[in-house]
Amino acid sequence: MGIPDYYEFGCNTTIVAGHDALEQISGLLVSMEAKNPMVITDHGVRRAKLVDILLQALDGRITVRTIQDDVPPDSDIKTVQTLAAKYTKNRCNAIIALGGGSVMDTAKGVNILASHGSDNLLAFAGAGALHHTLNPLVAVPTTAGTGSEVTRVAVISDPDNDRKLLFTSGFLMPDAAIIDARMTLTLPSAITAATAMDALSHAVEACLCLGRNPLSTAHAHEAIALISHHLLPVIRNPGHKPGRLALAAAATLAGMAFSNSMVGMVHMLGHSVGSVCHVAHGTCMAILLPYGMAYNFHRTNSQLADLLLPMAGADLFARTSPADRAQKAVDWVHQMNRRLHQATAGAHTVCLREIKGPDGSTLVPGHLLPKIAHTALGDGSIFYNPEDLDYDDCLMVLEAAHGGTPLDRSRVKKG
Amino acid sequence: MMDFLEITPGRQTLKRWYLAVMFRFFGRAIQAAARVDQPVTSEFAAMPENYTFCLGAFPGGPYMVVGKDENGRVRYMGSSIAHRTIHLHLTFKSPALLFLVFTFRESTPIANARNRLYVRGDVAQACAVMRVMDMIQVFLLPKFLAKRAVKRYPDWSVKRRTLVRAQVYIRTIAGL
Repeated sequence: MGIPDYYEFGCNTTIVAGHDALEQISGLLVSMEAKNPMVITDHGVRRAKLVDILLQALDGRITVRTIQDDVPPDSDIKTVQTLAAKYTKNRCNAIIALGGGSVMDTAKGVNILASHGSDNLLAFAGAGALHHTLNPLVAVPTTAGTGSEVTRVAVISDPDNDRKLLFTSGFLMPDAAIIDARMTLTLPSAITAATAMDALSHAVEACLCLGRNPLSTAHAHEAIALISHHLLPVIRNPGHKPGRLALAAAATLAGMAFSNSMVGMVHMLGHSVGSVCHVAHGTCMAILLPYGMAYNFHRTNSQLADLLLPMAGADLFARTSPADRAQKAVDWVHQMNRRLHQATAGAHTVCLREIKGPDGSTLVPGHLLPKIAHTALGDGSIFYNPEDLDYDDCLMVLEAAHGGTPLDRSRVKKG
Repeated sequence: MMDFLEITPGRQTLKRWYLAVMFRFFGRAIQAAARVDQPVTSEFAAMPENYTFCLGAFPGGPYMVVGKDENGRVRYMGSSIAHRTIHLHLTFKSPALLFLVFTFRESTPIANARNRLYVRGDVAQACAVMRVMDMIQVFLLPKFLAKRAVKRYPDWSVKRRTLVRAQVYIRTIAGL
């Protein structure tokens, strides 16, 4: 691979991983002088009794000031402001984020406001808008996908404007991440599939986008290999703890990779589908990933070809001629989506028009695609995509992903 | 007590002078294109009234300030960020990094991917400003340079490549 003239890579987060890693949390909090934490979580995590496991792991040195479980599936500004006020009112001095991507990003947003004594989250949007360290934050992921436990990024919805706000700063990295296999054991198979495909999209985009570098690529390749080996076996046998831990490690590795090289059009379009149609992030990523790879094909052919090795293994890689490897990598992701569709009895969707709400309604009707394309043009991930996109390009990709038809690469403008 | 030689950092005067000239030209070109080019006009039309953004470098500039006035007209507002409300800051970490971009040795997307600039403000508006800057670079630069500055050289109509481009140049030079 070509090595860029210049790149940056960093991960300040202490990672504690293992089957019973959560038992280390009190020691970590004490070492940070963070004995009065607020716990931020959601109803699903509480129902799964994961809060109970957390509280059992905490010893007498730690006094949890308040447990807030009101985080919605799509974290938003108002939730962040409400929780930040409660943080101050309860005189907390740290946050434990127990949950998936929405909880993690909410916790990061709360930490921004609480650490700055502010109630205006918009003032901190963008890249590099934070100028000092934040209060201690310990992340305990309960899904294996977001990678937010090790990223310098938070994505928070602005529902009034149907958009997602991007916050990027090294200060957003949690101080510690605890990866414990018990946290993901009860995850339903469809969510396991979608979140793992989210992690896969982080890893793949980390290898393709403009900020790619040897260190992020190394992390991403290992993440892809772990997902390739363990995802389908875990879907078939959800109680397999080593497999769960491997997927959690993959999500963390992919998080480290994309936090340093950033992500592109898959996330740009996915954020917009999520904000306009309220679709789960992982579902959007799974569907859009092969389309993003196909769109950037002419710009990233050699990087795509390299992905086939961790995806499909050494045998298939060796049997495939170098000229065909990039296309095989795109095909592998399509195939993985189809296998997950079968393994989850159809719960894992392979095109946008198949996504259904709890009442069986279509969440992404075709008439909303123009609005999604327009919204996507305001997403910061566009900066990092290898190929440029205008409104027509976004619509073309969305239409293909909506119908589940392959992207016609001859229509991609090459300039 | 020992005497230590006090070292004053270099001012990089030539680079700053070059960037100041480029900014003046570039800022006036944005103003000109916003008057005569429909896609640039549309990008600014979607921004709020009195919206102001600046492009520059830490720690002390140079800066280029562009914004919409109370009548909705896009204006190049000079090089000073003092005593102004600026809604979007696009700030390179040093003049040397800004110099790389304005000498076309590194494109803005690559500079951004290499974490060379801070974006403070609304990211959606930053995307719009970046699209405007790409279009201005295509207007002003010969194709071989513009191809290095933008991700994808656009396939514009003959009218936009000739007539509109000429109008942008004339207005930029005249400051209209």
